[in-house]
Amino acid sequence: MRTISLRRALPLIIVLVFLAVLPLGANGYILGVLTTAFYFAVFAMSWDLLFGYAGEVNFGPTFLIGLGAYGAGMANALLHAPVPLAILIGAIVAVAGGVALAIPALRLSGPYLGLITLVAVLLLQQAIVIFAGVTGGEIGLSVPDVLSIDSGPNYEYALAFMIISGLVLSIIARSSLGMILQAAGQDKIAAAALGFNATRHKIMAFAISALFSGLAGALLVFYLGTASVSAVVDVSIGVRVIIAAVLGGRRTIIGGAIGAIFLIVAGELLRPIGQLSTFVVALIALIVIVILPDGLLGLLPSRRGA
Amino acid sequence: MSRKLCTVLLAGAASLVVATAVAQAAKPLVIGITTELGTIPGKAIANGATLAADQINASGGVDGRQIKLIIEDDHLSTTDAIRSFQRMVKQDHAVAVVGTFVSEVALALEPWAARLHEPYMITGAAANELSEYVHADYKARQYIFHAYLPAADLARAVCDASKQTLVDQFHMTTAVVMSEDAAWTKPLDAGYDKCLPTAGLKVLDNIRFAPNTTDFTPIYQKIEALHPNVIIDGWAHVGVQPTVQWAEQKVPIAMAGINAQAGSSVFWKATNGATEGVITGNTSAPGVAITPKTLPFTDAYQKKFGISPAYSAYSTYDAIYALKDAIERAKSTKPLPVVDQLAKTDMVGTQGQIAFEGPSDKFTHALKYGPKYVTGVAVQWQKGEQKCIWPLNLANAKPAFPSFVKLPAKS
Amino acid sequence: MLALQILIDGFAISTLYALGALGFTLIFGVSGVLNLAHGGLLVVAAMIAWYVGTSLGYGADWGALAGLGAAIGAALLTYGGVVRPIERSRAIPPRERELFVLTATLLWGVMIQEALAYAFTDSPVTVQPLIGGTIGILGVRTPINELLIAIIAWAVMGCLWLLVNRTKIGKRLLAASINPRALTLLGFELGTIYLTVWLIYGVLAGIAGVLLGSFLGTGSDYIPDLTGSAFTIVVLGGLGSVSGTLMAAYVVGYIETLTAYLISPSLRDVPALFLLIIVLYVRPQGLLGRR
Repeated sequence: MRTISLRRALPLIIVLVFLAVLPLGANGYILGVLTTAFYFAVFAMSWDLLFGYAGEVNFGPTFLIGLGAYGAGMANALLHAPVPLAILIGAIVAVAGGVALAIPALRLSGPYLGLITLVAVLLLQQAIVIFAGVTGGEIGLSVPDVLSIDSGPNYEYALAFMIISGLVLSIIARSSLGMILQAAGQDKIAAAALGFNATRHKIMAFAISALFSGLAGALLVFYLGTASVSAVVDVSIGVRVIIAAVLGGRRTIIGGAIGAIFLIVAGELLRPIGQLSTFVVALIALIVIVILPDGLLGLLPSRRGA
Repeated sequence: MSRKLCTVLLAGAASLVVATAVAQAAKPLVIGITTELGTIPGKAIANGATLAADQINASGGVDGRQIKLIIEDDHLSTTDAIRSFQRMVKQDHAVAVVGTFVSEVALALEPWAARLHEPYMITGAAANELSEYVHADYKARQYIFHAYLPAADLARAVCDASKQTLVDQFHMTTAVVMSEDAAWTKPLDAGYDKCLPTAGLKVLDNIRFAPNTTDFTPIYQKIEALHPNVIIDGWAHVGVQPTVQWAEQKVPIAMAGINAQAGSSVFWKATNGATEGVITGNTSAPGVAITPKTLPFTDAYQKKFGISPAYSAYSTYDAIYALKDAIERAKSTKPLPVVDQLAKTDMVGTQGQIAFEGPSDKFTHALKYGPKYVTGVAVQWQKGEQKCIWPLNLANAKPAFPSFVKLPAKS
Repeated sequence: MLALQILIDGFAISTLYALGALGFTLIFGVSGVLNLAHGGLLVVAAMIAWYVGTSLGYGADWGALAGLGAAIGAALLTYGGVVRPIERSRAIPPRERELFVLTATLLWGVMIQEALAYAFTDSPVTVQPLIGGTIGILGVRTPINELLIAIIAWAVMGCLWLLVNRTKIGKRLLAASINPRALTLLGFELGTIYLTVWLIYGVLAGIAGVLLGSFLGTGSDYIPDLTGSAFTIVVLGGLGSVSGTLMAAYVVGYIETLTAYLISPSLRDVPALFLLIIVLYVRPQGLLGRR
């Protein structure tokens, strides 16, 4: 088990402390942008656990996010479950979905698995539209309760959740589970020869990724006050998650968070150029990926040779 | 120093003082516009608001205050829209937010309008749920106005138009309803099923199809086998493909109802003329004066933006004027007085007489429908132009169908 | 009667699917690139064909030609600006090249979509068909354009087969797909071969885009669906297998048409998705794929 040296963690801690005291000085708008960015960060970090460590090409992060979001939203809107219980229900639904997604992953890999995960998203989307009576269909589902209507508390919830998720995911990735996943992802047979049960670890990886994706999806619903296909299920959201993880630096966990925050803040800064902002963000991301394959984290000197 | 110069200087100083005082009183009035700039109806919302604001500012503003619009693109995403809504309210202190033609986005913004006590006018989305939502808890949700017709009223307009054109003039008796499977078409179809028989058109079948359908041949074949006189459609996401395939396959059935894309002036080019003979409900038609305000608006719009306005431009333009009147009557920009006055709106708009339904109506705060208020028009594409065929007192053409459409024998 | 309807209609839509997916499978087969900007190339071709043919008024023929040219340009730009820099990059480990190409072409597709929406708005348009009108086939009224599309599509597929199997260039392409290293050892410049195949890909995408645009319409919003549909068909058929792609296109096309006719038009794409899951689960390499 590798330890995280204090010297490397120090800048991170400074950034986090700065973020934690931000509500004292910043206005509601900046907090609002960062709140969404933090939930996106968890999406990207969970995805990185699957891809970066286990080598699973998952094109459907929104399958897990969507299950968590709709599970929680429906629990609150239909069963009148209080928010914490609803979030728990959403997380359970997402984990079940994650395990279901792990089954094809045991047999398939590369673009084949990628397609299956993509199809899972499309089927979820179809199901939401077909069962519009309980899901709200393409118009979306309004949930009666929200975490808070003030930006301050919403921001703190999101920040705390991101830090905890990042910490847990990093510990898992650096533990023996992460090592075995990485080994199995690179050479299945060798890993099996060493006596590791790759199947069990793979299912674990999917379940953990699903847990955090689902929790983040559920929390996002109670931040937005609505669950809708365009916010938590659409393939384009999944694309943004993947881009965020690769952009920040894959196989680092924390890179996902950096990429997600970068993408959302850049999109926000480019708002004045209007319609073309998405184009420019995509262009920047493309340039970064081609020139800096290790992502934004690759820029930090301390990571070189690590 | 001569006396004259002294007077001038004094006068100058005085006017400077007055000007500063006026400028302080006239802090601009911020109105937020949330819309989707990559789409035709979304762009029209931004244009309609810009035109109204420019005109109001040129003629002295709202009680002397200039309007400042903050136009934000939500890229059709509820997350972006909510974030931008919160920002407009908290950061820019917008007196009201106007916009979106996407029901999903509007429905996501409604709870926030209620939570943040922000007047919000929806100017393009059509789902019934939008105004039913206000009805369900009026006290908390009175800040929301659905400044467009709900789908149920759109269906009524189609039935009224069909009665006076297709049934009375062409003796049509049967119809098949063909709608895209979307939230806004559910109440529309329910409305069709109820009012088409009253209008004299028996509904033989109601076909709903996935909005991402690309090949419409199976649907047209199925409809043709039932031999109806007319297909009554409910389309917004689709439009180009079913229209082109209808013409290309020479489906011998007339086409009417709501084909939102056909309401746009570029539809002729988009379909290479396949839209000849297609009838659709619309807010207005070129050159048709629904009210004395309609033509000056369309002319000014055409001059400023180089295209003719889409339906959401009319509703947004009217909404901004309704808001201006309400603020002036309320002598305040505080939410509740403005909302109280908005609810009392009764003004001549570009679409007709503008008024909102009260709390007892199922569609609370939606535009009032009817010949005295807003009905919209039925237009038909004829030789590359949109002609108005209904209401009859405004019509500038008689309906005519392409040669491949089989019409009932005239008795 | 109904059976004949389904037969003709399914044939038309399946042929379009096949044509749309052909370039995608070719470029994967030869150079190992999964181009997720594929839909973007098709729509660029269709959009330019509409713009030149209808909006500027030069007519269907010039429009189609301009669309073809635009697709070739876009394909070469995809290769030169996106794929090649990644393949030549030393910083990207070869094992991860695939993912980088996927992500980069995905971003490139987003850029194409946004640029088209900016230039033409996202509302759909239709490319003018080369020939209008309908004819009756055993009582089924069929648009001539539909027949023409099928004929052109099959002619194009025939040409591609001849090119690959009967010419020197084709043999090199085939060799590059099986063992690129051996080919370089024999003194062939892989770069030239890849350039050739991207050129052919541009032509295929151009023809497919213009024809699809005349039958189904086109618009920047169609891009993700077109990419997804090509991806589905190609994986179902077996990645890189041209005959597998054809087979998969017809299977998917007919299943969708059958669902639309016999069950409900609103469920048309659901059974094909389930079929895809089942096939991939039982036979992960696709219908005719090599492992």
